Amino acid sequence: MKDITITGSRIKKEIIIAVVSLLAAIILNIFSIAKFKTDWSELFGQLHVVILVAIAIYILVLIFRLIFWGIAGLIQKK
Amino acid sequence: MESKIKNRRDFLKEMGVYASSTAFLASIPWLDAFAQENGKNVAASDRVRIAVIGVGSRGRALLMNLQQVENVEIVAVCDNYEPHYSRAIELTDGKAKAFYDHKKMIDAVKDIDAVVVATPLHEHAHIVVDCLNADIHVFCEKAMARTLVDTKLMADTAIAKGKILQIGQQRLFNPVYLNALERVRAGEIGQITQVRAYWHRNADWRRPVPSPELERKINWRMYNEYSGGLMTELAAHQVQVANWYIDKVPTQVMGSGSICFWKDGREVYDHVALVYDYPDGSKCTYDSMIANKHHGLEEQIMGNLGTIEPEINRIYSENPPQAPGIRQLVHDIESSIFDVIPIGGATWIPETAVQYRGDVIAPYENNDSFLQFVGFAKAVKNNKPYPNLLREGYHATIAVLLGLQAMDTNEIVAWPAEYVMEKDV
Ligand SMILES: NC(=O)c1ccc[n+]([C@@H]2O[C@H](COP(=O)([O-])OP(=O)(O)OC[C@H]3O[C@@H](n4cnc5c(N)ncnc54)[C@H](O)[C@@H]3O)[C@@H](O)[C@H]2O)c1
Repeated sequence: MKDITITGSRIKKEIIIAVVSLLAAIILNIFSIAKFKTDWSELFGQLHVVILVAIAIYILVLIFRLIFWGIAGLIQKK
Repeated sequence: MESKIKNRRDFLKEMGVYASSTAFLASIPWLDAFAQENGKNVAASDRVRIAVIGVGSRGRALLMNLQQVENVEIVAVCDNYEPHYSRAIELTDGKAKAFYDHKKMIDAVKDIDAVVVATPLHEHAHIVVDCLNADIHVFCEKAMARTLVDTKLMADTAIAKGKILQIGQQRLFNPVYLNALERVRAGEIGQITQVRAYWHRNADWRRPVPSPELERKINWRMYNEYSGGLMTELAAHQVQVANWYIDKVPTQVMGSGSICFWKDGREVYDHVALVYDYPDGSKCTYDSMIANKHHGLEEQIMGNLGTIEPEINRIYSENPPQAPGIRQLVHDIESSIFDVIPIGGATWIPETAVQYRGDVIAPYENNDSFLQFVGFAKAVKNNKPYPNLLREGYHATIAVLLGLQAMDTNEIVAWPAEYVMEKDV
């Protein structure tokens, strides 16, 4: 069985993507509070939803990356 | 259940009433009087001696509730049906004297303070009038009587004798209804323009009969001579709520009734639909049927600012609080991706009800059938009827009997002036 090695730079990259996803979700929350004129307390009150949105963004980005790697791999094989 | 003597304010809170403003309490004077009574100490020896007449299905439940009320003693029971007569003796561990005839009971047991009457509807009036004339206070199950004349006779006798005649409209003692009423009077749901009430069941409403000659005795609800069917049995509760919340006496009623599904020899309607008109233009629309129970029962009290559904203990605003922004955004994104845009379909959005759960009206653990007896026992002890309480039960019965008349004659029936009971001052 072949060992899978996760490099330090890969972990760093994933953490950066996760943090960016979280920041994007926080910005979306700020935007939606302003757009729907709801209470600013939702900045903290809706943190659970913000985290869920961040996870959704991360997964979405991951799907795009997997597709990209797949296509890149195919081209290299040829 | 009623363990500690509480002060008036605490007692009112327990009954769902918080603000206890003078104006609001003036609209439910029996509660105010009840609250004041509650503050008084009652000596353990100062017991209220009660007899129960008619210990059938409801009478049994009432008797068991009465046994939980402090300082109440069941001194006699009366039922003219042997199995229920024997059961009543058992329920009281043989401590209460038992009778088949209420007149013999009144003659034999001299110190009865009050009776509870839970006989079939047509047997209410003569028993109640006999008891009142014997200077005994009365609690009588709803509806009051089978006819308008008997209903008025009962009320007039109670007033003339200065005795208590409390009708079994237990919602008048229900903390959820009282709290909702307080919020209505404070303007929370705006102006009430309609009460839409309904009671739906899916059952034939028959009881098993041990032998055929007992059919009319046991299934008295099926026959016009004894019962007003769905109107006196179910609508009486809900039309009382409508009158109470709208705070007016209807001016007229129109309706239609039929035997639509249970064509089994019954005489009373199994399906009724009515509209009660009030002087301010508001309405109570009512329907009851026993061939579908999907919607159950409710009194939807609708104002321009909100709706109350007391049976399920909920209040709804016409402008519900909006969802948090981020959820609205996620919802909008979802809809823009997944919602199907109809091509060639309807060009309007159907105005279906807003899916919004509303808020709980009031915490409710107590049993209103029990609370109404706590109130009754206090009134008997005080030897004084509560102001305006009889009026609620009286107008409820007059309303359902007029509703029956409207359905039977297929005409709009106006509320006769002689059947309006003025408010006590
Ligand atoms: N408030 C409520 O929620 C509620 C609920 C159910 C019934 N009720 C009312 O309670 C009353 C009784 O209904 P029920 O379902 O218990 O009926 P039921 O037939 O089960 O009981 C009536 C009892 O009265 C007895 N009775 C009849 N005539 C009598 C007489 N002259 N003297 C002594 N006893 C007599 C019968 O033998 C029977 O035991 C009705 O008015 C009904 O509308 C009120």
